[in-house]
Amino acid sequence: MNSLRSQVLGLYKTLHFLGRDYPKGAEWFHSRLKKAFERNKGETDPQKIKELIGRGEFVVKEIEALYSLRKYRAMKKRYYDQ
Amino acid sequence: MLRTALRQATRTVSAMTRLSLSTNVAATSSIRLLRPVCSQLQIQRLESVEVPGPYTPPIHLTFKVVEERVLKTIRTWDRVPQDKVDQVKMESHFVNDLGLDSLDHVELIMAFEDEFGFEIPDGDAEKLMTPQAVFQYICDREDVYE
Repeated sequence: MNSLRSQVLGLYKTLHFLGRDYPKGAEWFHSRLKKAFERNKGETDPQKIKELIGRGEFVVKEIEALYSLRKYRAMKKRYYDQ
Repeated sequence: MLRTALRQATRTVSAMTRLSLSTNVAATSSIRLLRPVCSQLQIQRLESVEVPGPYTPPIHLTFKVVEERVLKTIRTWDRVPQDKVDQVKMESHFVNDLGLDSLDHVELIMAFEDEFGFEIPDGDAEKLMTPQAVFQYICDREDVYE
């Protein structure tokens, strides 16, 4: 139970950190992130919590992919004019 | 080939020594003067070298500085409850006195990480529930002793 709690908090920390560079603004991302976590704060079923953590980790991967795509586009723009 | 070159070299050197012996006093004194001038130039050049990049000398932390910065971090954190800003003390509990939830607590710990420039592991972070505990943790970590 306690390990799940620390996992959730770790996930929140990771997402909060990633949100600092979000294209739409850190403010926008952080308010939504908080709401998303508060929506499921009453969850007690360990299986369900694990599922939700999995979803959060998927979002982490998505954001990382978004950032690497953004970096790729920025570099492409610098080296090729089109 | 090599031998002839060597022989020629020795011959020129001996010729030069003979020349320098025979040259007048003014020339030798000018040679002697040349040396300190060179070293002075080198010193000047070394002095004009600038250290590249932004280098901030390490700040010497004291108990007072750490305490001030801990409290400042809490007060300037963007989501601290506005009516409780003045009540923030070293002993106030983040959850019970300031009314933060566990997610806010994670954010506050991140603010401390930014302020003091090192990462606080999750296992340690959950024990830091008052500014006093954070202060103690930072002092232990950064070797603050006065």
